Amino acid sequence: MERSEIYEKLNEIFCDVLDLDEVHLTDASVADDIEEWDSLSHIQLIVAIEKAFGIKFTSLEIMKWNNVGEMVNSIIAKKQ
Amino acid sequence: MVINSFRFLAFFAVVFLVYFLPWMRQRHTRQNLWLLLASYFFYGFVDWKMLPILLAITVAFWFLGGFIRKAIDRGNAKAASRFTTLGVVLGIGLLFYFKYLNFFAGSFAKLLNAVGLHVSWSTLNIVLPVGVSFFTFKLISYVIEIHREKIQPSENFLEFATYVAFFPTIMAGPIDRPGKFLPQLHQARQFNYNLAMDGCQQILWGIFTKMVIADSIAVITHGAWSLYPEKTSWYLIYAALLSPIQVYADFDGYSNMAIGVGKILGFNITKNFDHPLLARNVSEYWRRWHISLTGWITDYVFMPLNVRFRNWGNLGIFLAISINLVVIGMWHGANWTYVLFGVYHSLLFLPLILSGKFGKNKKLKPGRWGCIQFKDLLGMIGTHFLMAFGHIIIFSAGVPSIIRLFSCMIKGDWSFVNPFSLLSWYSILAIVVLLVLEWFTRNKEFAIQRESKDYTNKTFRIVFLDMLLALAIVIFSASANAEFVYFQF
Repeated sequence: MERSEIYEKLNEIFCDVLDLDEVHLTDASVADDIEEWDSLSHIQLIVAIEKAFGIKFTSLEIMKWNNVGEMVNSIIAKKQ
Repeated sequence: MVINSFRFLAFFAVVFLVYFLPWMRQRHTRQNLWLLLASYFFYGFVDWKMLPILLAITVAFWFLGGFIRKAIDRGNAKAASRFTTLGVVLGIGLLFYFKYLNFFAGSFAKLLNAVGLHVSWSTLNIVLPVGVSFFTFKLISYVIEIHREKIQPSENFLEFATYVAFFPTIMAGPIDRPGKFLPQLHQARQFNYNLAMDGCQQILWGIFTKMVIADSIAVITHGAWSLYPEKTSWYLIYAALLSPIQVYADFDGYSNMAIGVGKILGFNITKNFDHPLLARNVSEYWRRWHISLTGWITDYVFMPLNVRFRNWGNLGIFLAISINLVVIGMWHGANWTYVLFGVYHSLLFLPLILSGKFGKNKKLKPGRWGCIQFKDLLGMIGTHFLMAFGHIIIFSAGVPSIIRLFSCMIKGDWSFVNPFSLLSWYSILAIVVLLVLEWFTRNKEFAIQRESKDYTNKTFRIVFLDMLLALAIVIFSASANAEFVYFQF
């Protein structure tokens, strides 16, 4: 799966879960950039991402992410 | 030695003068060593018996941090997890011994006696060391952050020990995270006029809210919590409604002083409050109250639980929030009232979770003439009442006292008491000023901060206003050196 494809799908998930009209995620995106993205919606995002990509993250993996780029790396690693 | 005392002023004057000597400013290690010595002196002055334990636990965690990183580098995830668990157990164990051993053993003995097994338990003579709830949380966050690969272990023991024992925050926080604080110790601090002035303003505002507002309300609330059978219903209601303002003015006052002292020394300390009186619901309240503690618990208790329960929907969220709030309650001390406080708050979350309104609230927007919108105001008043109810739970001596206090409030003497007769006019004025400033200065760190944080011009105006505030403190402070509410936790 291409990185750009993942981002396309992620943008859709974020709009859906956070109820946003538009979002442009990048490797450097963090929770502070989006007002609606907090510790509670974060979990809803993870559940939606796991479902959409058919993968399962470990707890430590989730805790380690510093930005969207690191999350995308995890998704790519799982899809290989 | 409380921050708003002349003893602290003398101590700080010496620390400050030596800290910024040209010879000291050349090397950060010299400044760090001086800060560490000052911090140990400060802590030893309050509780010298705890000093060896503080030093020993600092050494232990410093080594643990190194071991975790080495295990990660070797690809040994299991060993890294084991060392982290050891650190967490060690930190919690220390807290458990000092704060909870008597409580749990006593409760367990009572339970055994209740089911017919006769055991005797004599309470151990354990004195709760000041600040233990705050520095153990710093230590635990250090090992977890290394395990999550958010930070590298500190290579310099002096920097690490200074982080743990940093005197402005060791007594009652804010609980600084290693990732934000340790790098600040890595370079020499030069005297920064604007930052130091900002710090002085923050200290002054902290002293004002503590000594003029919190201490004057404390007289009323202390009367309510301890002498409730003698009080009228209206008195108890006023006390409960004033209590959230008192504790906020007290703890925010302390936090402002600690952050201000840090700024003078060239440090940026984590903020602890974001105008909690403006919270429109309980969820927002917890995002604005004691942020350095709630943030800590969110990252290390709530998130791991929430991640684990993530496929359970609303039930998972409710469970994670409930455990989280009971932990926050229990953090305050060993008493069933604190557990009940956590349960009460988690029940308040239930309607928010079910209606999907527990997430981050939209930013406050002013209505006409820059005032609060009516809908927001209603939310704030409602939240205040819910908090007041929670204060009755947390400040009662035990669960039976909560019930007795409520029955006094409901069945007691309902003869009207004029609320203005309980407080002096200047205390009421100060509370009104606080509430108004809370709204109009909601985007600032503290009420009298300059928007630009630049204090180089119009110095006369600053000095004049500061003199006025200082005069108010001298004339109207309720009592000298009254204890801070959070020192007991």
